[in-house]
Amino acid sequence: MVDQVLDAQGLVCPLPVLEAKKALAKMAAGATLKIIATDPAAKGDFEVFCRNTGHELLEASQDGPIYSFRIRRAP
Amino acid sequence: MSNGLFILLCSGEHEKVQMAAMMASVAAVSERPVEVFVSMNALLAFANGLDPAERYHGGEFSELLRAKDAPDAISLLQRGKEFGDLKIWACSMALDVQGWEMSHLEKDLFDGPAGLTKFLSDAENGQLITL
Repeated sequence: MVDQVLDAQGLVCPLPVLEAKKALAKMAAGATLKIIATDPAAKGDFEVFCRNTGHELLEASQDGPIYSFRIRRAP
Repeated sequence: MSNGLFILLCSGEHEKVQMAAMMASVAAVSERPVEVFVSMNALLAFANGLDPAERYHGGEFSELLRAKDAPDAISLLQRGKEFGDLKIWACSMALDVQGWEMSHLEKDLFDGPAGLTKFLSDAENGQLITL
């Protein structure tokens, strides 16, 4: 289940992470954010971002040039 | 808890200002404390009220950054401050040499003037990057 979708297609580093941070800041603990991105660096960046912030990276997938992530907001 | 990131920004070259802003904002929103010390030519890039064409001077990549509408360095730093622990200091020596007060700098970005001694001391237990 996804509570919010962030379309980060076309955004280049570091904007996908910055926009995700902004979106997560407004969400309740436990809510899920889906991010769609085209930045090839996004996978590594979101893995580290979640590790450092305590948010849970539920899914990281790729379909051609499109990367999708689901992040559960930490308490 | 990760150790702090300390960025000593001396160059006014657009590419270096941009990289400093990118590193600072990403580290800050990833919940790593960040401090940026702005000195020498870099201070000039943060003059209050400048148009981007006047603010940023660089080489080939600077032109590409502008042509491709890359995120503005000032904007990146503002986001880093809004969503993370990011402090930006103006070198007191550079302010003095330039004859500037803090009010000459971009509004709501700097946390005050600072000296190198304190900055380097604070950086001892963190990661220091110089641009």
